[in-house]
Amino acid sequence: MQFMRAIVLNHMRIKLGTEYQLLPKHGRILLPAMKKRFSQEASAQSSPENFSFLKERVMELVKKFDKIDSNKVTETADFQKDLCLDSLDRVELVMAFEQEFSIEIPDEKADKINSCADAIRYIASQPKYNVQGSS
Amino acid sequence: MSLASTASTYITRRAAQKERVRLLYRRCLKDALSWAIHRRLFWEDASKMRDAFEANRNVDDIDRIDKLIEATEARLTRFGHPDPYVVPWAPQGSKFARNPPVPEVEIVFDYGLEKY
Repeated sequence: MQFMRAIVLNHMRIKLGTEYQLLPKHGRILLPAMKKRFSQEASAQSSPENFSFLKERVMELVKKFDKIDSNKVTETADFQKDLCLDSLDRVELVMAFEQEFSIEIPDEKADKINSCADAIRYIASQPKYNVQGSS
Repeated sequence: MSLASTASTYITRRAAQKERVRLLYRRCLKDALSWAIHRRLFWEDASKMRDAFEANRNVDDIDRIDKLIEATEARLTRFGHPDPYVVPWAPQGSKFARNPPVPEVEIVFDYGLEKY
């Protein structure tokens, strides 16, 4: 009977991962695998490549805006001073950012977006595109 | 002195008006977006909105500008969308705070050897 029990238990026993066996006697351990499993969506989007991708997407969008000379577009160019937009065009451009990235920009924040860099910074701070957390 | 002060008040008032117009235009566009069932329709509305704003571009009289802004704001609050569209992931959106990322899990294996 004991023998049978041992065999059954041997098969049924839950295998512990290496994390448990290599555990320090008394230390702290963070289970990265566990974290990854639960927040796959979040971790998939947070990577440094994503940040440059975001930058590219913003610049593309600005270049496509029909009132802007696409050759003048740089990351730090001011929409109104350097790219010759008026204030209403800037509002439209911010609406375009909202549409492209499907985010909501509060009015007071939207009023402060003056260049591509500002837009990138704001979009990157959104939880949907959170690339700050990866570093 | 009084001339300088009136000039400065004029400038600050103009700046405030410009900001108000910007916000107003933004709110109008968002409202149009809420009413429109398709982007194609929204673009038409938006270009009409833009024309309406452009029509008063060269208004110089500062009191008249105030009146125009107030009239448009009143119209917007009266005829604005009762249930405006919010991006699903944004606050008040339908997907907001669904499946938030799990906080960092930290497990301490002390096995009774705690030092505290």
